[in-house]
Amino acid sequence: MLKNVDLDAKIFVIAALVLFFVGGTLTTVAPPLIDKSWGKPFENSDPSKGLTGKLLPYTAQEKRGLAIYTREGCWYCHTQQTRTLLADTKRSGWRGVDAPVSTPDEFVYDQPHMFGTKRTGPDLSHVGGKYDTQWHRTHFRNPRDLVPGSVMPPFPWIVDNEEEFQALVAYLQRLGRAKNWRPDNDYEK
Amino acid sequence: MEEQLVIEQTTAGVRTSTPTIHTDATAKWFLISSVSYFFIVGIVAITIAAKFVWPELMGTVSILTYGRLRPLHVNGMLFGWLLACDMGLTFYIVPRLCGVKLWSEKLGCATAALWNVIILGAVIELLAGRNQGLEYAELPTELDILVVIAWVMYGTNIMMTIGTRKYQQMYVSLWYIMGTILWTPFVYITGNFATMFATGVNQANLNWMYVHNAVGLIFTPIGLGIAYYFIPRTSNAPLHSHRLSMIGFWSLAFVYVWTGAHHMLHGPISQWLQTIAIAFSVMLLIPVWTVVYNFFATMKGQWDKVRNNVSLKFLMSGVVFYLLTCFQGPMHSLRTVNAIVSKTDWIPGHAHMALLGCFSFFAIAGTYHVLPRAFNTKLYSDTLANWSYSFFMIGGLGFFVCLWLGGFWQGWQWNNPSIPFIDTVVALKPIWIVRFFSGVVMFAGITTFLYNFMATIVNAEGVKKGQNA
Repeated sequence: MLKNVDLDAKIFVIAALVLFFVGGTLTTVAPPLIDKSWGKPFENSDPSKGLTGKLLPYTAQEKRGLAIYTREGCWYCHTQQTRTLLADTKRSGWRGVDAPVSTPDEFVYDQPHMFGTKRTGPDLSHVGGKYDTQWHRTHFRNPRDLVPGSVMPPFPWIVDNEEEFQALVAYLQRLGRAKNWRPDNDYEK
Repeated sequence: MEEQLVIEQTTAGVRTSTPTIHTDATAKWFLISSVSYFFIVGIVAITIAAKFVWPELMGTVSILTYGRLRPLHVNGMLFGWLLACDMGLTFYIVPRLCGVKLWSEKLGCATAALWNVIILGAVIELLAGRNQGLEYAELPTELDILVVIAWVMYGTNIMMTIGTRKYQQMYVSLWYIMGTILWTPFVYITGNFATMFATGVNQANLNWMYVHNAVGLIFTPIGLGIAYYFIPRTSNAPLHSHRLSMIGFWSLAFVYVWTGAHHMLHGPISQWLQTIAIAFSVMLLIPVWTVVYNFFATMKGQWDKVRNNVSLKFLMSGVVFYLLTCFQGPMHSLRTVNAIVSKTDWIPGHAHMALLGCFSFFAIAGTYHVLPRAFNTKLYSDTLANWSYSFFMIGGLGFFVCLWLGGFWQGWQWNNPSIPFIDTVVALKPIWIVRFFSGVVMFAGITTFLYNFMATIVNAEGVKKGQNA
């Protein structure tokens, strides 16, 4: 068999494609069919089953915010996933409350997804409601004014464009808010 | 006997009694444009490294901000430099291994022209922020379509050449190149088109399948195909084992495609899929070690040749980096290791060792070998070529090692939540300074490489003119 593959380009082509499609199909087409949570938005109103809440579709403004976040490449330095690591739940937490671990049903409306691969700045999976609009305005104008030592670039052209700035903040404020994880509901506006 | 055949084929076109005349026009155009992009995108690379050290640098100009330049760096290096250079080298290798002329030089030159249109389009679109938001798949749809068209043109040309080959047995380089041609459209379409119809975790899974296989089923097989040709060719020794190269190829074909989900270990993706990805990631050691053993065994008793041959220096250093980077990969996929290194600066250290340390080294080696032969001249300067090797090696090692140390340290700090996040950023600043200066040294490597390359061509053209006059 190996010998044939070596001598005959047709057999080679078939063997190479079959191997590729077996692995490719089983790891990309099959998983969402097996694990339904990938496509079903989070919703829970029963406190005995864990955190309550509902994942809402994006508003037009939030969608615009996501587009700006994408355009500026924010996702190259900020991940959006609280992983199953104790440190992640503490770092994504706020005011002494640990953030819940991210689950697939919280990201169903994300297009494009913003999970990220590199964490140069902090994870943003639960940043929604941590800082108010004024904080974001100052921070986008020059991050080092609020966080000395930060290496984030300044984004004056966003702050100077009120429509873009409001959209971006609207997007950031929704992150991690599908689950009501803060007991006092103490979200900043 | 097999080995005999193989060495006969690797030397074909040079030593046969009825030599086929290769014009190599396509190979030349691909090499010239790719080496030029290597230099141009190298400037972008040092700029973004500098932004880590001086975050305010050019910071108020939107098109020169980090988020716009990084995709330009990644796509420019991947598609403008490395893939284009690899394609150029295969346009040189394949006709020689088949003992025939390239099927169509016209189609080849048209492919080179289209490729340049794509890269220039990418520069404009990415600086303007027209970014699709998926890693390695940043290019907007209209350019994606052109990439697929260019790939079909390239694939047709190579496949038709192989279809008309004079030698029945296909040397291992040909399998790897054919594998690349076959898998790339599916990998690319998954990452750039299928992702448009998916959201959230489903989209991320398709994205990582693409990202992983862009390296694993595009850059790896085409790069190994090139190394399989040039290692025996430059050391003038037959390949150690034909059988081992078969095991390496078919295990790569089977194992690579399963591993995409290891980019989201501990993340919001099904645990069982993570476990599958881990199991197959560890199995990657099989194709890697068989290939590396085969290369080392080929060099047995030949190591002294490395001293006097700059191509062989790049090739064998590339093999060592391949071994290292592909040992890191499976180890990162283990949950315990992943909990420390994932998302840290270790990762760019790892990624650069694969694409710069290994596959770019193979491409540079191939270019140094092909250039004088394609232009029928001598390399402008061997000394300069050796300097470029030292620059790449020192800059590269500085880059990899400082990011591993920094990344590992960063990962430990992150796992101690009592350390504020900003302190883990400030702690990395010395690392980023070393990375910047390593980048400058690598850029010196690119510059000497480009200068040597262009001077060789200018000299060759000068000689040709002299003869005509």
